Amino acid sequence: MPTWKEKLVGRMDQQLAEEIDIFETQMVLRRQGKLDEKIFAETRLRRGCYGQRYDNGHRHDGIRTQQLPYLSDVTKGPETLWDAPGMQRIKIPFGGVTPNQLDTLADLAEEYADSVLHVTTRQDFQLHYVHIEDTPDLMRRLAAVGITTREACGNSVRNVTACPLAGVCRSEVFDVTPYAKACSKFLLGHPDTQGFGRKFKIAFSGCKDEACALTSMHDMGCIAVKRIENGKERRGFELYVGGGLGAVPHQAKLFEEFLPAEELLPIAQAISRVFARLGEKKNRAAARIKFLVTKLGIEEFRRIVLEERKIMPADDRWTGYLSNVDRYQETPKRQPARLNGHDRPEGFEAWSRTNVYAQRQAGYAVVTVTLPLGDLSASQSRQLAKIARRFSGDNIRTTVEQNIVLRWISEADLPDLYRELKRIGLAQPGAGTIVDVTACPGTDTCKLGIASSRGLAAEIRNRLSEKFFTLEDAVKNLHIKISGCFNSCGQHHIADLGFYGTSRTIGNRKVPHFQVVLGGKWQQNAAAYGLAIGTVPSKRIPEVVELLTERYVRERSGNENFQEFVKRIGKPELRRMLELFMDVPSFESDPSYYSDWGDPRVFTIGDLGMGECAGEVVSTVQFDLANAERLVFESQLKLDEEDYAEADALAYKAMLQAAIALVRTEFHDVPDHPNTIVNEFRTRFYDTNVLGDRYAGNKFAQYLFRRHEAPTSVYTRDYAHRIVEEAQLFIEAVYACHDSLSERGTVGISAKSPVQVGKATP
Amino acid sequence: MDLYRLGIKFFDVAGERIEPTEFIPIFHEWIQKQTIENHLLIDVHNYSHIHDGPGILLVAHQGNFSIERADDRIGLLYYRKQPVQTFTEIIKPAVQGCRLLENDARLRPRLRFRTDEVLIVANDRLLAPNDDETFSALEPQVSSALNHVLGKSFGLTRISDDSKERLIIRAQA
Repeated sequence: MPTWKEKLVGRMDQQLAEEIDIFETQMVLRRQGKLDEKIFAETRLRRGCYGQRYDNGHRHDGIRTQQLPYLSDVTKGPETLWDAPGMQRIKIPFGGVTPNQLDTLADLAEEYADSVLHVTTRQDFQLHYVHIEDTPDLMRRLAAVGITTREACGNSVRNVTACPLAGVCRSEVFDVTPYAKACSKFLLGHPDTQGFGRKFKIAFSGCKDEACALTSMHDMGCIAVKRIENGKERRGFELYVGGGLGAVPHQAKLFEEFLPAEELLPIAQAISRVFARLGEKKNRAAARIKFLVTKLGIEEFRRIVLEERKIMPADDRWTGYLSNVDRYQETPKRQPARLNGHDRPEGFEAWSRTNVYAQRQAGYAVVTVTLPLGDLSASQSRQLAKIARRFSGDNIRTTVEQNIVLRWISEADLPDLYRELKRIGLAQPGAGTIVDVTACPGTDTCKLGIASSRGLAAEIRNRLSEKFFTLEDAVKNLHIKISGCFNSCGQHHIADLGFYGTSRTIGNRKVPHFQVVLGGKWQQNAAAYGLAIGTVPSKRIPEVVELLTERYVRERSGNENFQEFVKRIGKPELRRMLELFMDVPSFESDPSYYSDWGDPRVFTIGDLGMGECAGEVVSTVQFDLANAERLVFESQLKLDEEDYAEADALAYKAMLQAAIALVRTEFHDVPDHPNTIVNEFRTRFYDTNVLGDRYAGNKFAQYLFRRHEAPTSVYTRDYAHRIVEEAQLFIEAVYACHDSLSERGTVGISAKSPVQVGKATP
Repeated sequence: MDLYRLGIKFFDVAGERIEPTEFIPIFHEWIQKQTIENHLLIDVHNYSHIHDGPGILLVAHQGNFSIERADDRIGLLYYRKQPVQTFTEIIKPAVQGCRLLENDARLRPRLRFRTDEVLIVANDRLLAPNDDETFSALEPQVSSALNHVLGKSFGLTRISDDSKERLIIRAQA
């Protein structure tokens, strides 16, 4: 039977292909019980394979909690059954995607998921209801079109986002695209980003005033700035650190007013090292970098980062990309032409008012394709790719508002483009307006969702769309963002009207509610967060939207914006307005309150699962040792295949991997060279007898030294068998040594005792 | 059977207006009673906001059911996700789903599925690329299985030769 692996040979980047092979082996090890479920959980998260609601094998069906009897009781993480479908997150750095990539994404959605592509608030794509067995092939097919899922989830650098107008924006300082791309590539899989206690999010913005990149809510936000120095223009970034939403939102702090472009990557690396070293590891609720910055203070944090910067080994990649930055450009598919006198189909004018943005390049426009709830079908995706090929070329980007933009559209083509989009159901007007509601997955698929954010978003969108053309402009331009829980994946803090799901008990029953958060500032890169005003039953939220917007229109003074209006009205008065909707009738008199939007089941929070976005806190040592074990496993397979030379090579590699794991606890930047690794290991752990204090570890160290110093040239079965056995014993000794050091508090958490569980945001 | 990622769609013949959301409580009830034979029914998903999307989706471990209206033709589409021994194992759950919907008091008599026309979708671009060879290889199996389950002889035609699209076969009695 043919396989994708064979079919795609030569079409995948070799490193990506190897990583996927390794993941496939890790899956085998986990199924055989040879890889700890917590380590495997973080491993798969770092490949973008995320859990999904009900994957613990339980689901409330509206009457009772059913046990879902999957055939296998193997787990792919704590309380996460192997056979249960999950979500696959696919990283799209700065949202840049090509028609060919869209075609592949469509194919994967059809064959491995539910035929739907979902755009997230981090410009990623997500596929739902994916079986883990399908993920290696899914990843290979993505790799063949230049996409990786690596570090899409887990305690890692998440998708690097950027303004979707970068390069064509009328108000940007310069195009941040090549910097975002370089940053994403540099930090992907970088050793210094593997030891985080939580995720790390980076955004790039071309200007300070617009909202597009939301830098203030990021762990690291970069805003383009220029300076004239010695008569010469110099590019750089206003750099912010320590922002974030979640349950405890923080505004990012100014780290540097002008960080020269050549310092961008080294400072990003230095920040990563400091975060990995000093960031919280045990209490995941305080493990984001925002807590570290707050704890240390921005001045001290800056000082430590700059000290770190000084001692880091130089890396050519820090500036290697800069020579190409000026050459970075996108190729339009069509010649520029003004829209003059062309036939304009019905609906075109309204659509173009909200969905068309005139580029700074004359004759070209950016078109926003509005995706209801961030969703598009596989069929739409494939047809959109065709449309892009005709009008836009490779210039497609996803947005943090869960839409897609087509750039470099010749203005004269806009009517034809509109007709084509309308034909496939993607020409809804209202992009970036109040009807363009953002929502996280919520209870539809998220393990942590409390209330139905998507259900509410759909309801609000439907109601407002009916009267969209009669709404005042002041209302049209408001933003609504909804999260299914306090974790803020829907970014409710930065909306004019934000909502997050919660639950209240009335009598003996649960009622879905939403906390109302008002007056967040979307503009100026998410400059201010909203105020929580009160909790309202889910079913009354659309009326809350209506009442608030009507009053805003009626009572706003002059050009007063919504944030100013909310501030002027004041929290007590806003609260009084909400109180009109807070009462919940008894179940007997109105049961509709006791179920959520779009879900007729009686509401429950019994389906809440254990979040895993931040996953387990798995240290770099744990990963290195798990990797060593995988290599031993592969050496065993080679032994069985009678490939003794390869078995020997892999077993040796496994021992080196285990050794470097331990060395790195003392010497972070140890060069990855066998002689250095062995020498450092000998000096630090053998000569000092540190390895030898448990299970005769020093004896096992001899296995490494002997193989390193005297490799054989004659490979026999007996020889290979012995080396494989010795490698296994050596790894066990390293584990024991690390555990011993951990107990004494000499190094971080135990390699075999990860302790933290996490939660989700995209 | 190596190829098991196959789909089958039965079309509504009644042609009456039914709101997609009417299927949501029905599918939830199927989960409560685990109604479909040899299937672990898991969840319901509302995708009715997507043009040409999966509509209302009932997710099961073995395969997904959806009420969708691609090309403006409402129908029940079943996609198999787990291995099967024979093609009839793919037709039977879809037929059971159709019968259950037709007989549901909330939908009767507004929904009736025709058994003289179905679509077969080969949802596997590796094992079943959209070409003449795959069509020729599948044709006898599909004909035989449809005849076995539905008691009719079917003529099969390939819908499109676009290599980017999946192999889709129209079977008409």
